[in-house]
Amino acid sequence: METVTLTIDGRPVTVEKGRTVLQAAIEAGISVPYYCYHPGISIDGSCRVCIVKIEKMPKLQTSCSTVCTEGMVVSTRDAETVAARAGVFEFLLVNHPLDCPVCDKGGECPLQDFSYTFGPADSRMDFPRRTFDGEGVKADVDFGPTLMLNRNRCILCTRCVRFMKEIDTDAQIGVVDRGCGSEIATFQEHGVHSLLSGNLMDVCPVGAITTRDYRFKSRPWDNPTVVDTTCTLCSKGCSTSAWLKAKPEWAKGSQLIRMTPRFNPDVNGYWMCDIGRFNYHWIESETRLRRPMIRTAAGLEKVGWHDAEPRLRDKIQEAAAADPDAVRFIVSAHAATEELFVLKQMVQGLLGADGLKSVSMAWTRSEKPQPPNAKFKIPAANAPNVNGARDLGFMVGQGNDGPAPDLAELKAAVEAGRVKAVYVLDPGPDGSIGDLSWLVEARRTGKLSLLAVQGVVMTPHAAAADVVLPGYAFVEKDALFTNDQGQVQSASLAIVAPAEAREDCLILAGLARALGLDIAYQTSDEVRRALGGAMPGTAYAGAGTVVFTRPVPAASWLQASNPSERWKWDFMFQDLPPVKGHNVQLEGLAREGAGPNYIPLRQVDK
Amino acid sequence: MEYAPAKFHKSARKLAPAGETFTYSPENQRRFDEIVTRYPPDQRKSAILYALYLAQNQNGGHLTAAAMDHVAEQIRCTSAEVEDVVSYYTMFFTKPVGKYVLNVCRTLSCALLGAERVTEELCAKLGIKPGETDASGTFTLLEVECLGACDRAPVVMVNDDWHERLSPEQAGKFIDDIRAGGAAAFTGCHLHKEKK
Repeated sequence: METVTLTIDGRPVTVEKGRTVLQAAIEAGISVPYYCYHPGISIDGSCRVCIVKIEKMPKLQTSCSTVCTEGMVVSTRDAETVAARAGVFEFLLVNHPLDCPVCDKGGECPLQDFSYTFGPADSRMDFPRRTFDGEGVKADVDFGPTLMLNRNRCILCTRCVRFMKEIDTDAQIGVVDRGCGSEIATFQEHGVHSLLSGNLMDVCPVGAITTRDYRFKSRPWDNPTVVDTTCTLCSKGCSTSAWLKAKPEWAKGSQLIRMTPRFNPDVNGYWMCDIGRFNYHWIESETRLRRPMIRTAAGLEKVGWHDAEPRLRDKIQEAAAADPDAVRFIVSAHAATEELFVLKQMVQGLLGADGLKSVSMAWTRSEKPQPPNAKFKIPAANAPNVNGARDLGFMVGQGNDGPAPDLAELKAAVEAGRVKAVYVLDPGPDGSIGDLSWLVEARRTGKLSLLAVQGVVMTPHAAAADVVLPGYAFVEKDALFTNDQGQVQSASLAIVAPAEAREDCLILAGLARALGLDIAYQTSDEVRRALGGAMPGTAYAGAGTVVFTRPVPAASWLQASNPSERWKWDFMFQDLPPVKGHNVQLEGLAREGAGPNYIPLRQVDK
Repeated sequence: MEYAPAKFHKSARKLAPAGETFTYSPENQRRFDEIVTRYPPDQRKSAILYALYLAQNQNGGHLTAAAMDHVAEQIRCTSAEVEDVVSYYTMFFTKPVGKYVLNVCRTLSCALLGAERVTEELCAKLGIKPGETDASGTFTLLEVECLGACDRAPVVMVNDDWHERLSPEQAGKFIDDIRAGGAAAFTGCHLHKEKK
C-alpha cells in the first residue's frame, strides 16, 4: 500500500495514498465536523463545515475534498479556522428551526453536537426564520410510504440526493429551486418509493428525513442499549443493530424499538433494506405464541409443557407405529442452524441414516422491485438459512438461486393418506414458510391425524394444529445463519421471549428425549459445540466458540456501526443518564458475556 | 427598506401543472435526436437544456409535469433530475406565460439608467406587477439580473430577442409597438447588426 505522511495539528499522520484530509483526520481521531461527507457515497463539499487551514494554500480548504499529499501541514485548531468554522455553523443555523425538543433526531443529531462543539454560542439572526410553508408546497410532508420530510430542518447536504443517485440508482430526490429557496423535493411531491428508503433516515445528518415507523416513538436517551445482530428476513443476512427501548421503571424490561444497519463491508456495506428495517413488529405483536397449546373439544387450550410434550409424543408414536414414514416434517428455512442440527440428529436417530428424507424444507421467494443497476440488491429468497440447511444435508433443491420449493410430493402423500402426522417448524413471520393451506385442509378433512406446529406467531396452520409449541424469534436467541454467500453469521439474543416460549433447538431436543432418544442438550451453546464437533474442517468447525454480542451502550454500538463516522462516538451519548431497570433480564447476561467485541464466526474460523 | 419576510422567507415554489399527455412533435423529435448526437453517448444528459427548450416552445411557453416526464424519458434520467434543472434556471417556466416575456434587467448599469422606472412604466401600462401575466395573456413581466448589455442600458430581453436603450418614457410606446408589429419592434442586439 502506497502511503503519504502529513501533519495534522502537529501530529504526523500516515494514510493510504488517495485518502482525503478529512478521512485522515477521522482515522487519526482528530475531530473535524462534517455533514455532506459520508463514507458510503461520493464526496460533495457542499456543507463547508470541514474547512481546515493547509499551509501554502491561499484559503481555507474543505478537508473532505482535499486529497492528502506528502508533507502537507494541516491545522484544524488555529484561530482562523475556528472563527471561519463558527461562521459556517452560524449560517447553517440561520434558518434551522431549532425544534430539537420535538425532533426525532434530537439527542443523536450531528447538527446539535457539532454546533455545541464548534459553533458560536449564540445567533445574530433577528429576523423570522425561513419556512417552506409556501403556496402549494409545505414544509413538513409525507415523503413516500415510509418517510417524513421536514424541509425547514434541512441543511442541504444532499446526502439523500446522492444516496438515491448512487446506491439506489433511481434519482427520485432532487434539489429544487436555487439559492436560499433551495429545497429537497421529489418530482411532483410523489415521495420516495424505494426498498432502500429507510437508509435516507440514516444518512440525513439532521431531522429532515425521519421514518414514519420510528416517528415520535422514542428518544435516544430512552434506548441506551443496542445489540449487534443479523437480519434474517432474506438470504443476504445484513449486519444490523437492534435498538432496545427501556420501558418505564415501574414496568421493567425493554422492547425492540428499531433496527438499523451496521457496517459490514463483506455483506451490506452501510445499508439495509426496508423489509429488514421495518418488518419487526411481528416479534412483539399480539399474535405471538406465548404458551403451549393442545386441541380439545373446546378448541386450542393453553397448557404447560408437561402436558403438551407427552400429548405430542403419544400422537407421533401412534402415527409412526404402523409406518415410520407416516411422520413428516416441514421446516422453514428461517430455522437456525442449531435447530436444523438437532432436528437432523432426531430424525436420523428415529429413522436411520436416510431420515432426512422425512424433512421438507420450505421458504418463499419474491423478486424485489428495484432498479436494475442498484448497488444494494435484495435477494429473492426470503429465508436466512437455506445454505445452512444445505450444509447439514437437507434437501434444498437449487438453494437460494432456485425456485422456492413446492411441497407437491408431500402434498400428494398427505392427500393419498400415506402421511398421518406432520410437524411444522416455523420460526419466521407469518407467511414466511409459504402456503400451507392444503395442510390445514387435510387436517380439517381428517386425512392427517396430527398437525403439530412449532412457531412464533399464530399463523393459519398454527390455528388449525393439534399441538402448538411456542418458540423464539430471531432476536430472542443466539443462533447461527448461513447467508447466500455461505458466510456463517451469528444473530444475537436481544430481547427476552414472551411467557413460556422455549428456544427452538431445545424444544426439538425435548421432543427427541420424549421419543426415547439420547439427545441431552440443555442450552444452545451445547448444541453449537456439538455442531462444531460434528463438522470439523467446515465453516461450522468454530461454532462452539462463536461470541455472541450482548446489549451494549449505544456509544459502543456507534463504534461498530460505522467505523468512519468517528465523530459519533466522540460526541454522542457522552452524558446519557443511566436508565434504571431497563432490560433487567439481560443485564446479568451482559456482565457475563463477552462484551462489545464482536467477533464474526469467519474470523474465529481463520 | 422594509424587511419583508413574507416575500423572502416563504417557499415560492408551486408544483408544475400536471398537463396533458406530452410527446415531441415529429419535427422536434428529429431535432432532439440530432442534438443528442453532439454529446458522447454516456453524457446524454448534457442535452437536457436543449431538450427542455424544445418541450417548452412546443408547449406554448411553459413546461408541465407531463412534458418533464417526456424529457426525462428522452434524456434517460429521472423526472426529479429534470425538475432539478427546470427549477434552477429562470428561463424555464412551470406556469403559463404570455406570448412575450419581458425580462427587464435590474442590475447596476441598467438600474443607474432607470431600469426601475422602466419596470414601473411597464407595470402601469400593462396593469400588472413584476412576475405576472396581463389579462390578455400577451405579456409577462419579469425582473432579471444582468443581461450583459451594460453599454446599451437599460436593456430588456423579450423572449429570445433583445431591446436596447429602453428609456422609461418609451416604455409605454414599446408595448404598443409590440402589439402592432410584433418582433419588428425590437432593436435587436447592436453587435449582431454591426457584424452584418
